Amino acid sequence: MLAYVAKRLSLAVGTVLAAVLITFLLVHAGSGTPGAVKAGPGATAAEIAAQNEALGWNQPLYVQFFDYLGHLFRFDLGTSLIDGRSIAADLGDRLPVTASIALFATLLSAVVGVLLGVTAAVRGGRLGKLITTGAGVALSLPAFWVGVIVVYLLAIKLELLPATGYVPFSSDPTAWFNSLVLPVLTLAVGGAAIIARTAAAGMREALGQEHIRTLRAMGTPEWRIRYVHALRFSSVPVVSVLGIQFIALFGGSVIIENLFALPGLGQAGQQSAASHDFPALIGVVIVATVVVVVVNLLLDLVVAALDPKVRTA
Amino acid sequence: MSVLPLDAADEVATEPVPPARRRGVPGFLRRPGGVFGAAWLVFIIVASLTAPLWRPYEVTEQDTANRLALPSADHWFGTDPLGRDLLSRIFTAGSLPLLSSALMLVVAFGIGLPLALLAAERGRKVERVTSRSTEVLMALPGTILLLAVIGVIGNRLYPVMAILGVLISAAVYRVMLGVAQSVRQRLYIDAARVNGLGSLRVNLLHVLPSMATVVAVQAAQLFGIGLLIVAGLAFLGFGPGEPEPSWGFMIQDASGHLFDAPWLLVPTGVVLALTVVAANELADAIAGKKADKVPARRKERLPVAVADTAPADPSAVLEVRDLSVAVDDGPQLVTGVSFALRPGTVLGLVGESGCGKTMTARSLMGLLPDGVSVSGGSIRWQGRELVGLSEKELTAVRGREIAMISQEPMVALDPMFSIAYQLVGPIRRFRGVGRGAARKIAAELLRNVGIVDAERVLKSYPHQLSGGMAQRVCIALALTGEPELLIADEPTTALDVTVQAEILSLLRALVHDTGLSVVIVSHDLGVVADICDDVAVMYAGAVVESGTAAAVLDDPSHPYTMALLGANPHVPEGEPVPLRLASIPGTVPPPGSWPTGCRFASRCQFARDECTAPFPALPAHGSGSVLCIRVDDLASTHATWDAEPVGAETVADAVAEPAPTAGVS
Repeated sequence: MLAYVAKRLSLAVGTVLAAVLITFLLVHAGSGTPGAVKAGPGATAAEIAAQNEALGWNQPLYVQFFDYLGHLFRFDLGTSLIDGRSIAADLGDRLPVTASIALFATLLSAVVGVLLGVTAAVRGGRLGKLITTGAGVALSLPAFWVGVIVVYLLAIKLELLPATGYVPFSSDPTAWFNSLVLPVLTLAVGGAAIIARTAAAGMREALGQEHIRTLRAMGTPEWRIRYVHALRFSSVPVVSVLGIQFIALFGGSVIIENLFALPGLGQAGQQSAASHDFPALIGVVIVATVVVVVVNLLLDLVVAALDPKVRTA
Repeated sequence: MSVLPLDAADEVATEPVPPARRRGVPGFLRRPGGVFGAAWLVFIIVASLTAPLWRPYEVTEQDTANRLALPSADHWFGTDPLGRDLLSRIFTAGSLPLLSSALMLVVAFGIGLPLALLAAERGRKVERVTSRSTEVLMALPGTILLLAVIGVIGNRLYPVMAILGVLISAAVYRVMLGVAQSVRQRLYIDAARVNGLGSLRVNLLHVLPSMATVVAVQAAQLFGIGLLIVAGLAFLGFGPGEPEPSWGFMIQDASGHLFDAPWLLVPTGVVLALTVVAANELADAIAGKKADKVPARRKERLPVAVADTAPADPSAVLEVRDLSVAVDDGPQLVTGVSFALRPGTVLGLVGESGCGKTMTARSLMGLLPDGVSVSGGSIRWQGRELVGLSEKELTAVRGREIAMISQEPMVALDPMFSIAYQLVGPIRRFRGVGRGAARKIAAELLRNVGIVDAERVLKSYPHQLSGGMAQRVCIALALTGEPELLIADEPTTALDVTVQAEILSLLRALVHDTGLSVVIVSHDLGVVADICDDVAVMYAGAVVESGTAAAVLDDPSHPYTMALLGANPHVPEGEPVPLRLASIPGTVPPPGSWPTGCRFASRCQFARDECTAPFPALPAHGSGSVLCIRVDDLASTHATWDAEPVGAETVADAVAEPAPTAGVS
């Protein structure tokens, strides 16, 4: 177990370092320079060169890289080329927005998906087929299209909720909650579909296992066979997919935040990409990678807790 | 863009599929989803690539009088806020996402596939390096990283998608490595190597074709994801700029006109969604996933006409008469099986694979597989008819009166729960005791089945036990309800020879000490001779000979029993070892192809013309029976099943039962 955790931890650290290295090299491989971005359009070559010199762009690559790593260890991600704000502070404000959307969407997907998937596997027949087919379609729908339709139906037609915008939790919890409902619903459509398919396949596989026949031969009540033994058996794949889902939703937030005008990480990523704000871009990638890595670590722990084969290995 | 490439890797089956050599329509086109997927993809690709040739309007042509128009004869899909024709724009916009997703696929498979083949071939060291690097690559947040790429190189979608292909190649590698490794483990790859084929040729001729299906499935899924990503990027404004049309931006455009022209949302969204759905449906169809492969609800068994209810043998605790088991709307698996079990004795059901032994045994508890049911006859248990009981009534019998142990102890226990949990539950249910008392009983049961360190085993999980230990736990589990009948389906087949003897002596001790009755299913005549009081020899779904074990084994009347005995390599002590073991030519005919008359006739040394006519079972061995029309001829001539001069080397086939094949055993 200890070796398992150590291995996972080293992989996590390696992944974050790889993300830093890849984005760092990517920025330096491009034709643009931070000086040109900072000096703005219409700047002369001399102005750009002066800016690059000030930013340390002309130093050897390894010096810049280790300099960056040194700052990173102090949680310093540098300042934006566009408006000079602290990137770490900015992303620190944005992370909770994206994290809460991804978390709520994952939880909603989990509840709806497991209910649908288990129903499909246990009930079978027409209902099962309907759920499986419906999930197959739902997971193929583009999230931004679903989002626009959700806005049209719930915000414009029924006028239930605000269409876009974000209210911080600290200023008005109810308005905060309302501002999250539509984005979370939008993301949960595809998420629930994937979970439903995983849960249905897992339950079907579980119910076909030899040990389920042993339980039947022991006269175990059917509800116990299904909802204790088979459900537990299928929990490992479902939890694994849930973790992947959370990470995917984190990525999907770029589009959702654009659609619903939410000040999250994804929006920062989009704006930095559009304005070629290199340090901000690297910062967004690093923060997102850290989130992914931490979620994966937690996921490994949950799987270990669920699966005795991993736990006792 | 809401879907990372990661989960595609998880949905693909990693089972390699042997290269198909069938001609005609590929399998996936026989499924409705596959037909739809393939047809729509072909249509959208052709229509998009040829759009400049047939589109009714130029993409920038503005019909200012008809802004935001609904569909009409002039504009089939309507018009956008500038009065441009949606049909022309949608199909013109298609070629970029379709082609750039294809480029992404080429890059992803171009890197991932050779890497997987290489890692599978070169073994642990190479595999470890590549696998670790791809794990890191897969843990990176793909979508966000893509934004960074765009921030550096700009809105150039082809290079951006090629870089996405590099990121996705990690997922391709992971799936393909699993397939390549299991293909390589197959013997014919080794054979090809021995035959001197070069590494490249082995990969091209043998490994790759076996991976074709998995490649196709993953490619179709990733294609759909690629489309979503291109459209998502365009939605964010990272696509071809106005006035060039793009799916994502057209939906972005539509989201700004929800109040005045909600229709605008429909055509582009539907075309994009249909294309992604088509890719996924195609993937599912190629993978052979059937949406309708949903097991039907366990339905209540139909009441079966019970023939004659008067017990023929009042001393029998279990009496089976004329039992037939059949696939619903399909062939018979077991016909006219009759036997009786006296209390405190052991009855053996013997025969080769596919003779219906296991089906007969499982029908005793109403535990037949889905789609198989008792089609006639009677099973009387302690004077009560079990055939036709509802699932609920049978549940009350199972475990409490009749228990079962199965062939493979290692998979018979729930891998997710500790042994203690699995024993305590039934003990509390059957004996109505508290948790603490149940745990004490569990430990005692384990000690009764010969487990010395019961406390340690109670804390263990099934995967921590050896096969013999697991079978002991299974027997203890079966005893939790203090049943009077134990059905043991090949209880020793999966175990080592030394352990087999221990388990058999444990069963014998249980019968002796507790008065348990046992029905044991076995293909091993040694087991039968060792433990059984009575025996019923089954062949092709029927009992061909029954009686006391001593009578049947010492003085077999049916040629099949003689043949089984002749083919048995175990020789009783003191008797001379035969020079050559006998063999039975041919194999058991599968259900549905049984001949009329004697089903063994085609493999029988003594078959005559009269054997092909139907005939009844004759009494033999006291209370037993024999199903052979020539039984008197054979007895009078003292016929024995002789070792055949040729083909004796097939003897192993006759008795050694391989892993049970699908369905009937």
